[in-house]
This record gives sequence, C-alpha cells and structure tokens, in this order.
Amino acid sequence: MTFFTIVIRGLIRRPVRTGLTLLGISIGIAAVVALVGMSRGLSKSWEAGMRARGTDIVVSNMGSSLTPQPFSASARDRIAHLPHVAATCAILVDLMSVENVQMMMVSAREWNGFSWKNLRLVAGRMPHDPSEQAVVLGRTAADLLGKKVGDKIQIETEELSVVGIVDGNAWVENCSVILALPILQKITDNRDKINVIDIRVTPSTSTGEVEQLCERINKLVPEGRAMAASENISNSQAYRIVQAMSWGTSLLAVVVGVLGVMNTMLMTVFERTHEICILLALGWKRWRIVRMVLWESALLGLVGGVAGVLIGAVGVKVLGRMPAIRGLLEPDLSVNLLTLSVAIAVTVGVISGLYPAWRSSRLEPSRALRA
Amino acid sequence: MNSSICAATSAAATSATSARVFDAIDLEKNFDDGHVQALRGVNFRVMQGELLAITGPSGCGKTTLLQMLGALERPTAGTLLYRGKSIPDLPDPSNYRAREIGFIFQAFHLLPTFTALENVQIPMLETGLPPSERKDRAIALLRSVGLEHRLGHFPAELSGGERQRVAIARSLANGPSVLLADEPTGNLDSENARLILELLIRLHVERNMTLVLVTHDMSIAEQASRTVQMKDGRVMPDSEVTITGE
Repeated sequence: MTFFTIVIRGLIRRPVRTGLTLLGISIGIAAVVALVGMSRGLSKSWEAGMRARGTDIVVSNMGSSLTPQPFSASARDRIAHLPHVAATCAILVDLMSVENVQMMMVSAREWNGFSWKNLRLVAGRMPHDPSEQAVVLGRTAADLLGKKVGDKIQIETEELSVVGIVDGNAWVENCSVILALPILQKITDNRDKINVIDIRVTPSTSTGEVEQLCERINKLVPEGRAMAASENISNSQAYRIVQAMSWGTSLLAVVVGVLGVMNTMLMTVFERTHEICILLALGWKRWRIVRMVLWESALLGLVGGVAGVLIGAVGVKVLGRMPAIRGLLEPDLSVNLLTLSVAIAVTVGVISGLYPAWRSSRLEPSRALRA
Repeated sequence: MNSSICAATSAAATSATSARVFDAIDLEKNFDDGHVQALRGVNFRVMQGELLAITGPSGCGKTTLLQMLGALERPTAGTLLYRGKSIPDLPDPSNYRAREIGFIFQAFHLLPTFTALENVQIPMLETGLPPSERKDRAIALLRSVGLEHRLGHFPAELSGGERQRVAIARSLANGPSVLLADEPTGNLDSENARLILELLIRLHVERNMTLVLVTHDMSIAEQASRTVQMKDGRVMPDSEVTITGE
C-alpha cells in the first residue's frame, strides 16, 4: 500500500458522487475542446487556404462580419505595380446558402489570377473563360452538395454547370465553390466590387519588406487593410468575437467544474473529518493531509480532463457535421489543445481542492478520541 | 487477580530504568473558555517501562490527560514533559505521535475502507520505509497479535476483539516506546477484554514498553504496576498504588 492507494480509495468510496463530479468536469473540458477547437480550426483552415493559394499578403476589410466587406476592384490596379509585388489576384468571397448546404464558401477569382493555379483537377475541366456559366467544386464541397461533373448547381437565382472537381490542398479550398469573378459579381449584385486581394511577393522579399509593403498598400487602399496572410484571420473582428465567445463559454463551463469539484471535496472532507483526525492522531503531518486532499482533487481533474477531451473530440466531430457549419472549417484537435485542456482540468482540480485541503488541515486530532 | 500477569508486570516495573518518561506538574486544562475545568492541577510522573493505570469515574479528566500525553491537547497551564522536553513546545508534534507514541482507542478507530494489513501500514507512511518493508512489518505485527489469518479482512468483517488487535498492531507500527491506551477493553465482552489485556501486558513485558492505561474498571487497573486514581480533574491524594509483586 502506498500514499496513492489512500488517495484513490478516498475517491472510489463514493462512486456515484465521484462519477457525477467527473461527468461535470468532463463536460466543462469537452466544451473547451469543442469550442476552442472550432475557433482555432477556423483560424487554421483559413491560414492553410492562404498558404495553398500561395498568398503572402491579403488586402481586405474583415470588419465584424464573417466575410470581408466589398470595395472597388480598382484597388487592385493601385497596388499591382508596387515594388516586391510579384502577382495579384482579385477575389470576391462570400458565405452563401447553396442548395441543401446552409453555409458554403463561394470563392470567385480574377480570371487567370494565381489563386487558380494551385487547384489540381480531380475530374472534369476548368472553365473555358470568365464568361462561362460554370463552377469547379472543391472535392469536399462536391461531397457535401452531392454533385459530380456535368450536374447543375443553383447559386441564388443562377443555375451554373459543374465542370470540374478540384483538390486545393487545404480544407477551405476543398470546401469551396470556385468560379470566375464576373459571374459572382453579377449574382450578388457586386459589379466591379471585390473583397479580397491576394498578393504574392517576389521570392527574395524579407519580412521587414513585407511589413513596409503592407504599410504602403494601406495608404494607397484605405478601404482595405493589408497584412501578412498568417495574420489576416486573427485580425478579423468576427474571428475575435468567435474566439472570445469560445473562451468565454469555456470559462463558464470550467467555473462550473471548479464549483463541482470543490463541492465534492468539501463534502469529502466533512464526511471524513473523523478519519482525518484519526490520521492526525496516528502521526500524519498536516501537510500530508493537505496533499491527500489536493491529490484527490487533482486526480478528479485529470480523469475528468481526459474524459472531457474524448467527449470534446467526439462532440467536435458531431458539430462539424451540423448543417450550419458543415464544410466550413476543420476543427483543431491538435496535441497542444488537448494537452492544454487536460492541464486546465488538473489546474481546476487543484484549485478546487485548495479550500477543502485548508479546512482539513485545520482539524484538531483530539476530535477523533472524543467520538 | 491473575497472579502470573501480576508477577510479569511487577517484574517489568522492577527491571525498568529509573528514567522518567512523563512528568506532569500542576497541569490544568479548561474547555469552553474556562467554563469546563477538565484538569485542575494534576501532578504525576510515569517511569520508563512501567504499566500505569489511570482510573476514575467518567468525566474525571483521565482521557483529557491521556490526550495531553499524546500531544493531542495542549494544557491550559502547568508543565508536561516527555523525557525532559516540554510536550506543548515540541517543534513537530506529529513526529512525536508517529514515532514515540502508540495510541489505542476504546472505539478502535480503524479506517473502514482499508484492510487489517493496510490499517497497520497507515502510520508507517510517515517513516519513509519502502512499501515492501512496510508490508512485511505489518504482517509481522499482525502475526504477533494472532491475526495472520485476517490480513485481507476489512474492519467490518472482524469481531470486536480482532479489531482491537488490529488497532494494537497499528499502535506498534513505528516501534514506539510508549503505548497510550484509552479504555482498550471498554467495547469488548469479558472474554475478549481478558485476551486484549493479556496481549497488552505481554507486549509491555516483551518490548519493555511504557504502557499508560486509562480505565474505569478496577479489575483491569489491579493488573498494572501502579495505579493513579483521578476525581474531578485531580489526582486523588494517596491514590497511588504500587504493585511490588511480592
């Protein structure tokens, strides 16, 4: 028998209460995994899409909506000639309801822009010209919509032909409906409007030069904001709101978990007052009693955390299949997030055990003899 | 009185060194802001290797006195020494309780979710002994009290006498030099009470341990090498009886 035998025995003596506490903390941690995983997934998916398109700088006005605000397509001409700019591609991107999918990324690109180049045909062909009433579908988008080459697809009031299925090397790209810029401008009544300019810089451009270029673009294009592709999503007001809501909800869930564990540990200490007094009378140091209570609560956190991570991972998969967000983002279930979640759970356990541990350390051993 | 037991306790007392284990001088203890005076100037001493019985009616303060000897209560006034050191001023009372003192309670106070073997090991966790050594020592102790066949039993599966044997084995876990027993036979039938008392006296003799026994049962007190009678928080004048064994 070791000290930990006593710790574990303390937890399993009340299996129902311990189980309910574990359930409480695991739901809290599952919320952390699911919500933060989704918001991080949004960011990572977006960044991966940028990388796949070969974009170094993005000019857009993310504002507080999920998609950037439109601005004049002439902005592209103002920056195309700048030093270090190797190529530009004007884009109009929107989240739209497409047939049975409630929200889908629809990405219209300047004809012959470099953002077309990374798309690898899996089936069919690319549109012949910018006026062809046609789209190509990312492979996941094709699955979600149940479309194949030759099918028709309804976007708002327009019926377009699916001429190809593509692999864009990124979740965002593969979940998109991709078409020529003029067609979406017409469908959405955004003639001569775009909302993103992808910029590829010359290969030798340094980070400092990229920053200087962004500053210069910001002066030339006040209606948008230029920033390195990796920073684009994290500067989005909408993304910040999503992130804040994720952490806020998670925090609430964690607070509930703290209260649950604290309640359990306080009950444990109250119930075991006699036993703790006996241990003190037998020569146990108060610090050992404190450690016993803290280990019990930390163990609750650890087991609850691991269970929460598993529940959260499954929950995220379920959320990812919900019609409202299906195909929009790839949840981030990185080792970092899972480790962080378990660490939060253990911290919650320890913090929850502090007060009960302090209470237990204040007990007088002579109580045991009076009983 | 069992003459063989009496002779054994007397021999142990005679062979004891003259070293003082406990000295109590004008010891007082108040509870409830002085409304209850549990001890009112107790003076007594306990010598190395003796079996001292503290007797008296319920509420006379004998358990409070025992708790003070075990550093479970602090005196309100007076001096209480263990081998010349002030017990209330011990830097680490838990260390004193873990290594110097063995407690035996009337209600056994075994932990119900641990087996007999585990209960005996619990005090050893403070000693830093490796687990295998703790287990071996606990088995040996339970064997010495005749419970080698009950190692894996939980307290609820043991009789009252067996529980007290486990408690006695637990009190010996860290090899204390003093055993403090508070009504150790109080919850037992007469046959088990006799067996437990014999066991305590045997351990006292074999290990040359100082045994302080609180009891209100005079037939038990008669088997001690010395008895001290208490009443109303005081040691009764001329109450000390020393058994010479002659």
